[in-house]
Amino acid sequence: MIKHWQASASFDLIKLRADTLRKIRSFFDNNNVLEVDTPTLSCSTVPDPFIESFRTQYFPLTQTMQTDNYYLHTSPEFPMKRLLASGSGSIYQISKVFRQGESGRKHNPEFTLLEWYREGWDHHQLMEEVSSLLNSLLSPYIDLTEPDFITYEEAFKKILNFNPHTISRSDLLDYVNNAGLSNVLNHDEHRDRFLELLFSHVIEPRLGVKSDDNGNIRPNICLLYNYPASQASLAKTALYHGQLVAERFEVFINGMEIGNGFHELNDAREQRNRFTADNCSRKQMGIKQIPMDENFLQAVASLPECAGVAIGIERLLMVMSQSDHINDVLAFPFERA
Amino acid sequence: MASYNTNEFRSGLKLMIDGDPCSILENEVVKPGKGQAFNRVKIRNLKTGRVVERTYKSGESVEAADVMDTELQYLYNDGEQWHFMHPETFEQMAADKTAVGDANLWLKEQDMCTVTLWNGNPLAVMPPNFVVLTVTDTDPGLKGDTSGGGGKPATLETGAVVQVPLFIAIGEALKVDTRTGKYVSRAKD
Repeated sequence: MIKHWQASASFDLIKLRADTLRKIRSFFDNNNVLEVDTPTLSCSTVPDPFIESFRTQYFPLTQTMQTDNYYLHTSPEFPMKRLLASGSGSIYQISKVFRQGESGRKHNPEFTLLEWYREGWDHHQLMEEVSSLLNSLLSPYIDLTEPDFITYEEAFKKILNFNPHTISRSDLLDYVNNAGLSNVLNHDEHRDRFLELLFSHVIEPRLGVKSDDNGNIRPNICLLYNYPASQASLAKTALYHGQLVAERFEVFINGMEIGNGFHELNDAREQRNRFTADNCSRKQMGIKQIPMDENFLQAVASLPECAGVAIGIERLLMVMSQSDHINDVLAFPFERA
Repeated sequence: MASYNTNEFRSGLKLMIDGDPCSILENEVVKPGKGQAFNRVKIRNLKTGRVVERTYKSGESVEAADVMDTELQYLYNDGEQWHFMHPETFEQMAADKTAVGDANLWLKEQDMCTVTLWNGNPLAVMPPNFVVLTVTDTDPGLKGDTSGGGGKPATLETGAVVQVPLFIAIGEALKVDTRTGKYVSRAKD
């Protein structure tokens, strides 16, 4: 019986984490990508309405009066882009990040992100690098078959047989009902919520697994790209076969999301508009709005062409060790922290 | 009316779903890096025993079911209903066929059972894990065969039929595991 004060991860997995971080550092060292360190505590944070930051206050020593809010970062994206805009060139960081309320089999409120940016690259070049890094990290532990590079549209067409960009709202709702997911969402919600529902319940479980030449089902690295423009977040948008899409990608292995990347938006006005829209959604949802990160917004105007990606280290360790629960790869998960 | 938010979901929590009391077996948070979070739960309908999956948008609330487990003593069956008594308050309660279900095969007068109550009424009955029951009918025992190899059916006083070793005879008391419906040993008294 393991007691509450004891480590939740086995020492094999604690060692696997150390080995993996060492391999990652050596990979970036060999590729001349600089390791950087940016603040965990910051005066602003991401306004995305579906990401909640931990909030805290700073008190000067001689006062007991509370001052402004500070936030624990949910990703080091904003300060890393400020470094890129200052002329750093390609950079990476391994940092602890924090997300309010995210706890479960695949979530811990505090987790480790590997985030890196490649100056002068687009998302296609970065997807190739993600695939090659993950392949070298994973292949000693699991038997991977060939990677997939498919668009968001192709995945919906292949698995659900419709085009997610052009489907009418009423047809989309029919697909949701046919998947047994009626009554989950209110009928007046944004179409992206219905796409997200079908994506997380029907599509995601089938990404990152495929049958090999002998018909055996094996895991693979699946890079899914070109999301709906309305899900662009911090990515550029572009026309792709006549359809406006977000140059954003996600990585899946064994039906689990491992990371998210962008061909980074460097249009400061567009970035401010998206943040304003995020805060509007927050207001409608009845949750707190986030002050604009003016340092970041100014830096976006000087951001060089680049692509960036964040990979969840615990998810990666779960895949390597075939663990079912994130607590198996954390020395002291949230419940024991 | 009591309710639970999806962030309180955990296995064992009792909820009202489509008018029936249900128990959560598994709760999985489905939260993409970007986008709406959902709670995907596997639930057992406590009336029908059926297991189904449901998805809720994270942050929603679901009505709680007033369901609790109590230890009651089984008294007797009047042909239609099974009667139970609380060992301290002596309060009596009757359960119908749907609530008792397969437990009727193992209910012996005076045994303690776990009775699940919904709004104060019996919803399900769980017999003890082990019961001692007398053999009322079986083929004649083979003298000298104590190997336990092979077996034969034996009918017990409650009507349950279990596979027993060849040496077991009518009138013997047997210990049976109600979770598997299997013979464990002769009862030692």
